[in-house]
Amino acid sequence: MKIPLRLLAALAVLASGAAAPVLRAEASCCHPPLPGEAPLPAASLYQTEVSFRTDADEPFRLSELRGRPVLLSMFFATCTYACPATIVDLVRIREKLPAELRDRVRIVMVSFDVERDTPAALRAFRESRGLPADWVLLRGETDAVRELAALLGVKYKLEADGQFAHSNLVTVLSADGEIVHQRAGLSGGLDEAAASLASAVRAAPSPAFASPAKIDTP
Amino acid sequence: MPRLRSSPSRPSRPLLAVLGLALAVVATALRGGEAMTPIPAGDYRPITRATTDPETVPVAAFLLETLPVTNAEFLAFVAAHPQWRRSRVSPLFADETYLRHWAGDLELGPAAPPDAPVVHVSWFAARAYARAHGRRLPTLAEWELAAAAGYATPVGRDEPEFTRDLYAWLSAPTPEPLPDVSTTRANLHGARGLHGLVWEWVDDFDTAMVTGESRADAARDQNLFCGGAAAAATDPGDYAAFMRQALRSSLKARQTTASLGFRCAADLPDSPSSP
Repeated sequence: MKIPLRLLAALAVLASGAAAPVLRAEASCCHPPLPGEAPLPAASLYQTEVSFRTDADEPFRLSELRGRPVLLSMFFATCTYACPATIVDLVRIREKLPAELRDRVRIVMVSFDVERDTPAALRAFRESRGLPADWVLLRGETDAVRELAALLGVKYKLEADGQFAHSNLVTVLSADGEIVHQRAGLSGGLDEAAASLASAVRAAPSPAFASPAKIDTP
Repeated sequence: MPRLRSSPSRPSRPLLAVLGLALAVVATALRGGEAMTPIPAGDYRPITRATTDPETVPVAAFLLETLPVTNAEFLAFVAAHPQWRRSRVSPLFADETYLRHWAGDLELGPAAPPDAPVVHVSWFAARAYARAHGRRLPTLAEWELAAAAGYATPVGRDEPEFTRDLYAWLSAPTPEPLPDVSTTRANLHGARGLHGLVWEWVDDFDTAMVTGESRADAARDQNLFCGGAAAAATDPGDYAAFMRQALRSSLKARQTTASLGFRCAADLPDSPSSP
């Protein structure tokens, strides 16, 4: 005999006290598209619900980046080896774009130093490195940083000396938050990153032309 | 797309309801996922570490579920959270093997007994489940600390019976379907199935910085990994720990496998921070 597992599951949920709307759960979901906005593509990073804070101490969700392609890198402010090199590379990748495309790209750096990289520390970092005002510097709690790192495939680990061991990845995101290119390592690959960034900019005239792939559509 | 629903007309509804309720009560009573056991504070000895790292990492006391999450428990979760059903899950959060051993979106089927540990779940899905229950995944250090205990002592490696069981499991093929979670023996802390059933996700699985091939890792590629060049094994004899390390370092957060499940953890109320 087949055990009615759906029923069992529903009862188990009720029995365990979770008053979840099991039987009509299909009506609700956690990623409703905003009014007037096309649904995000299935592979969009902007589906993540985690939130960050900017160096101006404002809350920030990754989905706020939607609309312009992004050059994204994770870092930590006290990094002495890879991160300064990465900053130079981010600048160089953008400079390789045709001039008319450069302003349509956002550069985003997200810290994995949950402890030390407070908004104030990131402000100081922006100042000391002379980063332009349109660069987005973000920090988050462990949960958010781990999720973003997992989405990007970035591995990181705090070493006892206070430095982080971490993958060096520069990620190009489409205007809808899909990973379209990743440049691994610290040497080479700038032309390829710039080329994919340029096509991401050209492919993004407006969010209305987002990929037809949809999520959460019954 | 329309969801397939089981036909309501097969056996009589009242019978199903009574049977379902009875099973649900039993399932709830037996459900280890709900029960948690305190793991006392201790020191975790990483099997690999940078030369600048201390030999042990202090771990604060915490709560750990006594059993891995079962298929029935995960079914209740996806029933309540449709975005985690097999047909709906975003490819961002789970690969195409997600819950593949289930008969359907909301049907377990013969390959997924209700009380067997759920497998074919991604790290994202495991975290979402934990969050939905007000819990979290254990950290690598927490999991390893809990799993280091033997049946009777805090150091399982020194218990012949414990190591015999551990290596018997490691050398046996994964049974299909997986056995009931309650078939495993409790360790010192009252946790079951940390060994002997499935591998388990930990929250920071991706701190295992192995690039893929051990000889290559001996001299880490500075271009790929900043600061990781000095890792060295501390206890090459702990073969099981190396297997876990290798597995974790090979995983991506959206991947699922036939032998990888999870259990949840939580902070102790008023948990003292580690020394």
